[in-house]
Amino acid sequence: MREVTATVLENKRIAETVFSLTFSTEEEVTVRPGQFAMVGVGGYPLRRPIAVCMAEGERITVCYQVKGSGTKFLSENYKTGEKLSVLLPLGNGFYVKDSEQKIAVVGGGVGIFPLISVIRRYAAEKEVYSYMGFRNRGALCMEYEMTRSKRLTVATDDGSVGFHGNAVQAFLNDCDRIKPDVVFSCGPVPMLRALQAAMAGKGIPVYVSLEERMGCGIGACLVCVCDKTDGAHARVCKDGPVFEIGEVRL
Amino acid sequence: MVDLSVNLCGVTLKNPVIPASGTFGFGREYNEIYDISLLGGVATKGLTLAPRAGNPVPRIAERNGVILNAVGLQNPGVDRFLAEDLNWLKSKTKVIANVAGSTLEDYANICAKLDGAADLIELNISCPNVKSGGMAFGIKPESVKEVTRAAKSRLKKTPLIVKLSPNVESIAANARAAEEGGADCVSLVNTFTGMAIDIERRKPIIANNTGGVSGAGIKPIAVRMVYEVAHAVGIPVIGMGGIACAEDAIEFLMAGAAAVQVGTANFTDTLACPKIIEGLTVWCESRGIQKLSSLTGALKLN
Repeated sequence: MREVTATVLENKRIAETVFSLTFSTEEEVTVRPGQFAMVGVGGYPLRRPIAVCMAEGERITVCYQVKGSGTKFLSENYKTGEKLSVLLPLGNGFYVKDSEQKIAVVGGGVGIFPLISVIRRYAAEKEVYSYMGFRNRGALCMEYEMTRSKRLTVATDDGSVGFHGNAVQAFLNDCDRIKPDVVFSCGPVPMLRALQAAMAGKGIPVYVSLEERMGCGIGACLVCVCDKTDGAHARVCKDGPVFEIGEVRL
Repeated sequence: MVDLSVNLCGVTLKNPVIPASGTFGFGREYNEIYDISLLGGVATKGLTLAPRAGNPVPRIAERNGVILNAVGLQNPGVDRFLAEDLNWLKSKTKVIANVAGSTLEDYANICAKLDGAADLIELNISCPNVKSGGMAFGIKPESVKEVTRAAKSRLKKTPLIVKLSPNVESIAANARAAEEGGADCVSLVNTFTGMAIDIERRKPIIANNTGGVSGAGIKPIAVRMVYEVAHAVGIPVIGMGGIACAEDAIEFLMAGAAAVQVGTANFTDTLACPKIIEGLTVWCESRGIQKLSSLTGALKLN
């Protein structure tokens, strides 16, 4: 991980409330799928933790939802050429074993973005089955990146595009047929809970990427903890954000 | 070359910049970003006798120019710190072990374990985020004096800093009480108790409901308090509260601080402390100041 003064290449709206921010770091940064960046927003004391969606050498793309005043400021004030203070790469990310050939990714809402980094990294050498859920047509984005998958199922809550339902339901319809070697997921907690319940006892490893309000982003301040099933706390930023699904209380 | 060194009750720091307790862990994570041996010292995460799990999440919120936190003293306990982290941290810089308890005996016993091991001990009697103890000792001057005395009675080698709460009637009176109890130094301010509300959910953002407010927004209040305390006691003062750059640190020095701590700014920029140290040299050089410590108390009132 390192501190970088990046230059904004592009900061554009890609869905109703979602922006894609591409910046250039001074030197090449190696980012593992599922890792994140802490992005500084001028005048705001806390940086925003945002999953890396695409990383190509010095060119990094993160996608964020405009939720509060900080992300609104980020979307309005960081135009092409602006300087951006970024700390990256952070967290553990998703690991794929050599023996794992079939990967299923199950994403909901902004949880799809760290999974796109998985698709981009492994689509050429593995079989990636993607189940991506959105609220409606207006929230749908990054379809081109998702189509690199061996098979893509888009789900919408209102049925306006693709499967009518959420990504977990779409995945569970296929799970026994495709028999994935490993499952990666990111999305709202109720979605992850449903996945946890449905996958219990199936013998397929499932890894989830968690979100929490963060302070430092590097594991020092102990702000962003999650509860582990063994009663201990884990730091989402440093020990995670990716955890084996049975290891954490959701 | 500007001399940035400061003397804190017999301990020489190579410069006055210390990351504040709770924002820096035991230094290992930040050391992956820069060599923390360039710091004047490190104030550790608050240490308790037994390990503590801390509060539920969310533990942090943000408002204009400030953050609120309620971590609740999550830490591995003093024994694990002694076994796993102290020697490493000492090889890097001066160690200011921050100590938190819920009884007088806790404070005394933790201090006994750290005596002669840490370079300095900082008594946390001002944590606003735990139910028992902590801040209860930091409110009334009599209890400040009592807990200081209990800690000091078990310290034969390591000097004692008492960290003062700003959530009190008179921080100067509490500073005097600490001095009377045997403190070698005081540090201030800890965070101001605050609340941030999610108006859609009609609930506080932080699970603990209230949290400690820190960051740039509290700086003028902290500077005023440091000024008051520096004029009320004869022992050195460590100032903190919203320091983000060298100029901020100099304000605290002029108000009477011998050294400064930096907390929230580490979150905004992990390189905040090294940048402040560099900035202190630049500021002094450009004004022909040879010894930074000459600025302590240099304030001239109107």
